[in-house]
Amino acid sequence: MSREQIEHTIIRVLRIVGILFFVLMVAFPFYWMIASSLRPLEEILMNPANLGLDFRKIDLSAYYNVLFDHGFVRYILNSLYVSIITVALSVALATVGGYAVTRLRFRGQSFMSYSILIIYMFPAIVLVIPLYVIFSHMGLRDSVNVLILVYLAQTLPVALYMLRSYFKTLPLEIENAGLIDGCTRFGVIWRIIIPLSAPALASVGLYTFMIAWNEFLFAFMFLDTPDKFTLSRGVVQLAGSVHLSKQLVMAASVLVTLPILFLFLFFERYLARGMTSGAMKG
Amino acid sequence: MTINSKYHRESRLAFWMLAPTFAVVLAFVVFPVLWNLWISLKPVSLADLRGDALFQFNLSLDNFQKVFSDPDFETVLLTTLVYTIGGSLLSILLGLMAALLLNSRFLGRALLRGLFIAPYIAPVVALTFTWSFILDPQLGVFNQFAVNHGILAQPIPFLSQRWLDLGIIGVGFRIPLALFSVILFEGWRYFPFAFLFILARLQAIPDEFFHAASVDGATPFQRFFHITLPQLATVLSTLFLFRFIWTFTKFDDVFLLTRGQAGTKVLPLNVYDYAFGEFNIGASSATAMVLFGVLAIFIFIYFRWGMRIEN
Amino acid sequence: MASLTLKDVGKKFGKTAALSGVDLHVEDGEFCVLLGPSGCGKSTLLNVIAGLVPQDKGIIELDGHSIDRLAPRDRDVAMVFQSYALYPHMTVAKNLGFGLRMRGVPKATIRKKVLDTASLLGIDGLLNRKPRELSGGQRQRVAMGRALTRRPKLFLLDEPLSNLDARLRSNVRLELKQLHTRLKTTIVYVTHDQVEAMTLGEKVVVMRDGEVRQTGRPETIYSFPADTFVATFIGSPEMNLYRGMILHNGEHPVFQGRGFHMDMGDLQLNPVDGEVDLGFRPEDVKIVEAGAETLPVKVEMISDVGSEKYIHTQIGREHLTLRAPKDASFRPGEIINLTIDLTRLHIFKGGVRMD
Repeated sequence: MSREQIEHTIIRVLRIVGILFFVLMVAFPFYWMIASSLRPLEEILMNPANLGLDFRKIDLSAYYNVLFDHGFVRYILNSLYVSIITVALSVALATVGGYAVTRLRFRGQSFMSYSILIIYMFPAIVLVIPLYVIFSHMGLRDSVNVLILVYLAQTLPVALYMLRSYFKTLPLEIENAGLIDGCTRFGVIWRIIIPLSAPALASVGLYTFMIAWNEFLFAFMFLDTPDKFTLSRGVVQLAGSVHLSKQLVMAASVLVTLPILFLFLFFERYLARGMTSGAMKG
Repeated sequence: MTINSKYHRESRLAFWMLAPTFAVVLAFVVFPVLWNLWISLKPVSLADLRGDALFQFNLSLDNFQKVFSDPDFETVLLTTLVYTIGGSLLSILLGLMAALLLNSRFLGRALLRGLFIAPYIAPVVALTFTWSFILDPQLGVFNQFAVNHGILAQPIPFLSQRWLDLGIIGVGFRIPLALFSVILFEGWRYFPFAFLFILARLQAIPDEFFHAASVDGATPFQRFFHITLPQLATVLSTLFLFRFIWTFTKFDDVFLLTRGQAGTKVLPLNVYDYAFGEFNIGASSATAMVLFGVLAIFIFIYFRWGMRIEN
Repeated sequence: MASLTLKDVGKKFGKTAALSGVDLHVEDGEFCVLLGPSGCGKSTLLNVIAGLVPQDKGIIELDGHSIDRLAPRDRDVAMVFQSYALYPHMTVAKNLGFGLRMRGVPKATIRKKVLDTASLLGIDGLLNRKPRELSGGQRQRVAMGRALTRRPKLFLLDEPLSNLDARLRSNVRLELKQLHTRLKTTIVYVTHDQVEAMTLGEKVVVMRDGEVRQTGRPETIYSFPADTFVATFIGSPEMNLYRGMILHNGEHPVFQGRGFHMDMGDLQLNPVDGEVDLGFRPEDVKIVEAGAETLPVKVEMISDVGSEKYIHTQIGREHLTLRAPKDASFRPGEIINLTIDLTRLHIFKGGVRMD
């Protein structure tokens, strides 16, 4: 065998081993989360190392329990409300703003682009205490609407930046054609830019949804009233109150994880593209 | 008539189109940073938030003095650096491996790509609780499985024990166990970020490079070290800078996994602990300012160096 | 339809002047071609007329009324873009009717006008397709159709044929000419291709560095170029142009070039001091038997373009190109004798034509 062939064989073996390792490493926690949520508490306590899931013994009671006894129906609705409003506002404002930065001439244009990037790197932990202080002082802290505004500030600069990079790739001549055909600036945005940017808008929307849906720190710090809890906040609350019932915590975890994973599976292409176009933060 | 009226019209339009974004960012990003500076220079306790004490002009550097003279400050700083550098490097290393595995076409690649991104997409609360459960010494599947099958003599409390003594070939040494576990989690959760960027870069390397190298007699490993790796140098260093900045200020993951116990206290957790453990908002703000200062240096580096390379 | 007048239009991008002092008048129904090398400002001028780029100074009038303050949509102009700029997310029919839809024209009217335009251009069969399903030639037609459907006062065409392959281009050029004869529309057409300019234009405007160098009928521009730039830019192969002096020593004036001289016969010339540029086109040169007033040149190279031959020769320290019939046979190094049609000499002083 030549050196080339030897190395090829080694690489083939390494690839198979590597892929198995990664699949196991990534998939197992998700499998375990779901499996444990379906397994009665006694089963977990009796036999923690049982890797399989006995389909005859599937127990959905944890979901019922979490949803109706621990208020998770409410949390789901709250999370949906916060996420959807954040997405709608963020996408709309970023579209308009991104268009302005890309196409209109005004003073301070390059400054805008830089400050967007700087804000992109601002960490939440630096912002959370001063915001906590001022909102507590004004008595506004415990509110999902305030939370939406905070999320908007977290997502808008990045959304605007992503859309700006996409708008730049659209040919100017098409917009000019629209202007001559009788569109106003907003007409151009509505009838030409938005239809042409559907993939970019989808990825911005998905990214924003993910941020708002998954966010923990602000929700944890700001919300006091259980009626206003988002899912992430609710899971932490639940984990603190039913310390031993791993089944409940895992069921709650599944409830907060599955929607975002499904959404992501549907739009995977857009999301991957959005991430590498300098969009993601974490 | 004014020749420049169109320019002014556009300027005005641009202003209104950007005004909402500007307002939100000003109110929820720029203002908090300035406000934080103000608080960090004042004695503010958690009980003062309702009154007018917030606006009194009584500035001093006491909070900073407290933060820096804290006996644990150096330990926390060191932990933060180990966590940040370890977590960043591990996530990039795993990302590089995953990207190399998925670089060539094969059946099911798209599916695996989707799967590999899942840790980054899923909510941090769900993932930390799941991993805590898996690693739990009593109920966790990892320890129980390992003990049952004779891999471990006794369960290891991964997230609650500060040191683990190991003996390999007669040489004994100890590793910071909980910190180690938290870094592993960090690598697991954020490798998809590096994976996507590296994969995109890998696919952008022209095939001609590899063909030319093959003709020149380079074997697969030589091709990797002489072509692939140099081509990835830029993206790897940019990724490290980004991951460093974000990991350095990361709160959620460590807080949810260990609450900063067992030697995993990092600076962002100090922000929380000062405010809600000691009810000292001033010291908490001062800690945030320290974080912010370190961050500013790295953002500066990014703009001086990173931007140039990215362009 | 309408007439278009530009007075002293100027535009700067940063410090570079894209347009300076442009005056132009296009008659109602006239086909006006803006011709020039890339970067000469011709596309900027078109964008200024459309209102896409605001001018820094000057006035634009359509039918005697200033349109400077009107937005593009209010100027009642239509434009065909080099890249066609078809809306990729709309069908051909939607593309054609978009301008009318934006103006609130009733649906039934739009449908009728779209059908009219489509049959005029022979694209009836494509109405339900999306732009990406069309060939280059079909896209070009749709782009023209989009401008035509609205019947605006003024058509602006920005290198509309440059993305077509050569054969298609000459066909569409012909159709465009016929279309204009039928519809009698006012057209401003930008191109860098002199063949397009000469065949299409009733009025040709030659531009360079943001300035109009000459305006006139194609044959005027070809026969009486206003300056050395126009002289060399128009015509293929290029005009022969030599720097030198005109001497009035003997009975005839004589042109003294670099390494050669040329008897200018009975040509009536006012005496000129200093250097001039002397030019003549390759087709105004004839090959003759050697004689007293002939010009001996050395053949360097022959390009055969099929229908005829271009003979590249050396004269003194300069080059001279002439057109010869396709059966002419010379070999490099051979000496041949030429006479030049003295009535077709162009003389430029300081770059500007002398008469």
